[in-house]
Order: sequence, then C-alpha cells, then structure tokens
Amino acid sequence: MPRRFRVPARRRRLLAAVSLAAVVTCVLSACTAGRAGSAARDNTLVVDTSFVYKTLDPGMVYEQTGYLAVHVLYESLLTFEGGDVTEPKPGLAESYEASPDATRFTFTLRENATFSDGTPVTAEDAEFSLNRLVNLKGSTSAYFADLDIRAVDDRTVRVTSRAPNPNVPVLMAMPAASIVNADVVAEHGGRSDESAASQDRAQSYLDQNTAGSGPYVLERNQPGEQLVLTANENYWGDKPGYARVVIRNMEAQNQKLTLTRSSSPEIALDIAGTLLEGLPPSLTVSQQPDTSYFSFVNTDPQVSRVGSRPEFVRAVRAALDYRGLAELFGSRSGPARGLIAPAYPGTLPKQDTLRQDLPLARKLLRDAGLTDPAIEFIYPAITYRGVDLGTIATKVQGDAAKAGITIELRPLPMNSFLEQYRGGKAQMGMTPQALTYPRADSMVRVMSPGGVNAERMNWTEDKASADVLSATDDFLAATTDEQRNAAVVRWQHAMYRDAPYVLLGNNSGTVVSTPEVSGAEYTPAGWIVDLAAVRPAS
Amino acid sequence: MTTVETSAPPARRPRVPPIVRYLARRLAIAVGLLFGSTLIGFLLVQAVPGDPVAANLSDEALGDPAAVAAFEQRWGLDEPLPVQYLTYLRNLVQGDLGTSQHTGRPVVEDLLDHIPATLEIALPAILLSVLLGIGIGMFAALRHGRAADQAVRIGSLLGLSTPPFWLSLLALYLFFFVLGLSPGGGRLSPEFSPPPSVTGLYPVDALLAGDPMLAWDAVQHAALPVLVLTLVTTATLVRFVRSALLEVLRKDYITAAHAKGLPPRTVLFRHLLRAGLVQIMTMAGLTFASMLAGTVLIESVFAWPGLGNYAYTSASALDRPAILGVTLFVAATYILINLVVDLLYGLADPRIRLS
Repeated sequence: MPRRFRVPARRRRLLAAVSLAAVVTCVLSACTAGRAGSAARDNTLVVDTSFVYKTLDPGMVYEQTGYLAVHVLYESLLTFEGGDVTEPKPGLAESYEASPDATRFTFTLRENATFSDGTPVTAEDAEFSLNRLVNLKGSTSAYFADLDIRAVDDRTVRVTSRAPNPNVPVLMAMPAASIVNADVVAEHGGRSDESAASQDRAQSYLDQNTAGSGPYVLERNQPGEQLVLTANENYWGDKPGYARVVIRNMEAQNQKLTLTRSSSPEIALDIAGTLLEGLPPSLTVSQQPDTSYFSFVNTDPQVSRVGSRPEFVRAVRAALDYRGLAELFGSRSGPARGLIAPAYPGTLPKQDTLRQDLPLARKLLRDAGLTDPAIEFIYPAITYRGVDLGTIATKVQGDAAKAGITIELRPLPMNSFLEQYRGGKAQMGMTPQALTYPRADSMVRVMSPGGVNAERMNWTEDKASADVLSATDDFLAATTDEQRNAAVVRWQHAMYRDAPYVLLGNNSGTVVSTPEVSGAEYTPAGWIVDLAAVRPAS
Repeated sequence: MTTVETSAPPARRPRVPPIVRYLARRLAIAVGLLFGSTLIGFLLVQAVPGDPVAANLSDEALGDPAAVAAFEQRWGLDEPLPVQYLTYLRNLVQGDLGTSQHTGRPVVEDLLDHIPATLEIALPAILLSVLLGIGIGMFAALRHGRAADQAVRIGSLLGLSTPPFWLSLLALYLFFFVLGLSPGGGRLSPEFSPPPSVTGLYPVDALLAGDPMLAWDAVQHAALPVLVLTLVTTATLVRFVRSALLEVLRKDYITAAHAKGLPPRTVLFRHLLRAGLVQIMTMAGLTFASMLAGTVLIESVFAWPGLGNYAYTSASALDRPAILGVTLFVAATYILINLVVDLLYGLADPRIRLS
C-alpha cells in the first residue's frame, strides 16, 4: 500500500492555482474574442465556402471555387447576368454575329476595355487566351478543341467551328474562356501554341497574380485558407459593390452557424439541401435546381447478369418513390423529371414528373423471369450540397426492396468510387451530375452511347435503341439553341425508356446572404454568384 | 656511452566526445529511416485505390487521350515507377519535394505555409497539456483511491472517449454560436491581413511587426482549437502521469525517503516526480508529434489551414508529391522528437548517461 503524502496547504494552493490559471487563460482568451468590428468589415464582403479549386489560371481552372474567383478577376467575350442563362450577354465583346450554319462566329470587342495594368484588351489577347486554353489540354480544353480562333483586327475575333456548334457563344461565356493579358502571361512563361501542354509555365504566376480585366484583382491566394480580392482601380465598367472580397474555406455546417450569427456583409455558398432547415428568416436564400442525381447500371453481363437486363433497369425506375427522394434532397423543384435539371433550357415540363409504380416494377421483373434479383450498389460516402448520399442510397435500397429487388449498398471513399465507376466495373451506383456549361450539350455528349459516362456502363451504340441514337443525332445536328432545346426533350424521353440510367432527383445550388447585402443571386452558369454584383443593401 | 634512441610518442587521435558520436549515429539512423519512409510512402501511395489522372481531370478531359497524356507528362506519371521514385529521390536530395498537383505550388512552400499554422495551436496546447497533465495526474496519484482521484479518473476517461471533432463542434457551438464570445474559424478575422512572415506564427509575427491588435485577433482565433487540443491531450497525459507516479509511489526508496524524515516537498519533486519523468517525457513527446501530424479533424472544424488539413486535401486528390512531402515531414518530426526526448532522459535520470 503506497504511503499517502500530505502536501503542504501552500503547495496545494499553488498547484491548484497553476492548473486553474491554465484553464482560465484558455477559456478567457476564447471568451473575449471576435470583437474586431470596424469600417473595414463593412467594406469587405466575406464569402464562406468549402474550397474546391486547384488553380486560378483561367486556362486550367475547372472547379467551382476557381470559377467563382476567376469570373470576377477576368472577363470573357460574353457572359450571363444574374441567374438567367437563357441568352449570353455582352462581356468584353459588345456584340457578335453567327453564321446561319453555326460554324462561324464573329465577336467585336469593346473599345474601352482595359486590363488591370491599364493596357487595352485587344483581339490578339483573345486569340492568345483561347488558343492557350485549347493547347493546354486541361479539363475544359475538350469543349474548345474543334474551334479555330483568330484575331481579324484589333477589335475583331473570329471563331470557326469544324462542325455546326450553336453553343460557341455559351462557351465564350465560360470562365475558362477568360481573356488574359497576352504580353504579361507570355512574359511569365505562357504559351498558346501546340507546345503549351508541356511547355507552358504561367500557372504558378497566375495562381498568385492577376492578368485580367475583371472588376477585382487578386491580392492573396492562400490555398486551403482564403482568397483575397481587391477592387480593380482601372476597371473600365461599373465599380463593384465592395472594396475587398475575402473568400474563405469553411465547412458547410460552420457556414450555417456563421451566417446565423453574422451582422456584416457575408454570403455562404454551401448551405443547401436539409441544411437550409432552421435558418433565420432574416437571411436571404437564392437557389436554382441545377444538379441531377442519377443511378447507373452496368450493361455488361460479365459485370452484372441482372443489371444487363433492360427490364431490371425499368423495374428499378418504376419502384422508386420520387416524391420521397425529392424530400431528402430538400428540393423545391419537386420530384425528378428528366436528366436536364430544371435550371437549364431544355428541361422537361412538370407533367413529365416521374411517379412510383410498384405493381409495374413487380410485373416487369416477373415477365423477365428475374426472381429475387440482387445487385451491388456503389456510391461516394460524402455529403454533397447538404445531402448525405448514404441517405439517398438507403432510400433507393428501401424502395427497390418493396419491388423484390435486393440492393447491397457499398459506400466508398471518393477516389475508390471514381476508380470503380470510371473503370467500368461497377454493377450499379449513384453519382451527382451537373452541366459543365449551361447547355444540355455537355450532358448529351457524355451520357449518350459513345460518351464517357455511357462507356463506363459499357453501353455502346450496338446496345442502344434506334430511338436513343436518332434522338442524339438530331440533337447534335441542330444548329440553333431553340432547335436543340426542342431536340433535348425527345432525347430525355428516349433515354428514360432505354438508357441504363435511373434518375433520382434534383438538388439546388444555393447562395445564402445576410441582410447587409443585396444581389447575391445564385447562377447555374458555373460561377455560383457574380461577386461584383453583390452590393450593400440600401 | 650508449645512446638511447627515443621516438616521439604516437599521435593520439583526438577523442570524439560521446555525445557527438551518439548524435552522429542517430543522424545516420535518421537518414536511413527517412529514406525508408519515402520508399514505404511511395509504395503505399501507388497501392492506394484510385488514379491521380481520374482524380484531377474532368470527365470530358478523361475522354480525350491528348489531355490524359498531357497530364501524365506534366506530372511524370508516364515514366516507369522505379524511374519516378529515383527522380523523386534525386530532387529530394536537392531539397526539392516536387510540385503539388493540387495547389500547383512547390510542396516545400505548401509545407512552410501549413506547418506554422499547426505549430501555432500545437505548441501552446502541448505546454498547457503537460502542465495540467502533470499537475492533475500527480494530484490524483497522491489521492489514490479517494473521491478526488475517482473524479479525475472519470474526467480523464470522458476526455479520452470524446471524439475530438465532436468536442470541437461543441466548443464552436457553445463559445461562438450560443455565447457569441469566440470568432467562428480561420486564423484571422476577414478585415485583417497576415503579418509579414518571420516565424509563420501569426501572433508572434504580428508582435514583431508592432501590431498588437492583429496579434490579439490571431490569439483569439487560436484559442478554441488550443482549448480542444489541450483538453484531449490532457486527458491522455493525466491518466499516464497518474499511473506512472502510482508505480513509483510503491517503490521502497520512496518509503525510505519518508522514513528518513525528508520533507514531503523534497520527496515529491526530487524523488517521485523525477523518477516518473522519463515515462512522462516519452508520452509528451509522442503526443506532441501526433499533434503535429494528425489534428485534421480539429483543423477541419475550425477551418484551420494546418498540416492536417493539407494532408487530408492532398490525400483526397491523390496528390502524390504532397502526400510524400507530408509523410517525410511527419517521419522527420517523430525522429527529431524521439531524439530530443532521448537526450532529455539524461537530464531527468542520472542513471541514463552516455559513456
């Protein structure tokens, strides 16, 4: 038995005091924090978002946080205003003309546009920027690969497409198509010729500096922490609403706590889905349903004997409770309709809303001789836009079970999911899909037979129905937006009947703002919100 | 007359002090360990399911062989694995850890940005934890079996079994959301800019720049992560210190010291604490190393741009140069801290001496 010490009272008090002091120091320093309110804060717009970006180089940018920043650091020939993506509006180009066959587009630049260093924006800058984008072979280069871009004179840019492409004006509104100061970028190792993919060295410069003509310039880029933008003093257009913008990295749950308490100009970009519940009414929510969630089924019998049967896919489709799924998405757009999300031109009308039909599901399985079919279902174990994908997968599993289908759920880390999905070995699974630019074109190309998504399901042209193939061909042959919007309706109907995809629902991109700001409107154009359009509330 | 030829005594080789020989030996072992860690890290990164091309390119670019080839060439992924590793080693010897595929910046620069952020919360947390851990652990050991001891045991068990991320969320909810007494996250309030970098620790750099307001803002932001880290680490140390001191308390020499009539204070600090110090230092060293390497969940909740966050982001993007850079840093940290702890043993226990 150890002997008991009798510590002198003075020593006991000292020990207690030291321990207490340590705790009190900690707590007090926490408790006296956060009192730095000032005029500087009123001139600063704070943007809370979960960072997804690798670079601010317009030629390489692809992720949404990058788009958000690049959209106000640079300008493209055309743009979209607010949340309306039906018609591209003038950007650096004050006007454009398209040939009737949608192969030749002529853009006329503004006379007064200048870069942040004061030099004028010329057609040569546009030619350099767009050719650099093509030749860098980055994530968005493929969209521009068929285009020939030339400066005709100082103010005229001609874009020629090898095939009819009515989407060229929309492509010219993408942040990736931003116009950079050619001299500055070339000086820092940028190239626009075919050697760009291996020889261009400008990315590191463009990650820390701006060579654009946008309303803001980059003050600081701290990856994983924050992006700080300051107003461009040489901006040729209307001054932006705030002298400074701080885009800071923050998880969605914390964004909700922060916005709820904030009394300064602040917006959050990831409070979506069920996270929107319980927000104070003083906050403004702007959202548009621009993401489709779909389930895919592998058509290769060697991967899945069950999944390769078209009747199985139809049975799953009939078994799903689309209304219940929409509630899980927190969707204000209601149950799913078609592959093109409601925010975009070409979406299906409300009468095409999908409905559950369990007797039909059971009949389809019975007629096909599929008794107690079972299949493995993979999905990324993530929360995307406020929705836990596990919850959605469990709902699909439960609905399918009511029709007699056994779905074995297999949540995977994102990289493992991508490897299985992209490797074409997954039996069945689920993933969100947003349009890369606000036209159905990008969805049609990847989802139709021959596209990358279809290849992953081993869904080839010989397996596709004539209806799907002709609907795809008709869409791609259309030479105007109107024709394509009509063609994509037929394409969606054909895909619903015959494709190995099962639409689950739509989710909305969201911008939540404090009462101190106005104009924080969500846009499905790709850059989430036009930060230059956000202004102090009057 | 006889002459005696005398020859000069053989030149003595200068004696190398034992400490220098010891350090040289440890250094050689450290180099071997670091080399081994790069090899294991490299092999593990290859073994992890996932393709860096798929993790970094868009769907559309993946369908374009030219884009895939350009990416592989840009990052050296088109070379055979042994060549990739040898290239990595060659660059490493020159102090080049490669360029991060995720941030596009040299990995060294990324690490120099993120390590100070982690140190900014880990240093005060380990100091407070050691202070509290020894104090409370000793208090509990001396009151072994009494109510106070039971309270400490339950408290430390609670601390150990509470997930750090949950504690972080709770602290944030309470101090920021409910009470409004703490900033929400990050290292600085949005209206402040970081001070000119000298140490990378914002409070220190701000004071060096003569900006006490900025320093205070940085301290306020660090307070909650420090509090959570301290609570979590203290719980571990308290239990460890208590059990180490209880073991010493049973030794005969403690009984003898009391029997000799030594004052309790002398027995407490000169015999009891000193005897337990070796184990306590080992534990504190390992805890500090793990703080530097793995505070990812706490950093994530507090939007703290430290090494844990960097490691997590790099792993998510299969950013091989960054993953290897973090692996190397973590290995070096453990090796260095173990060395320091080993050297401190000699100070704490006279029986441990180099000869």
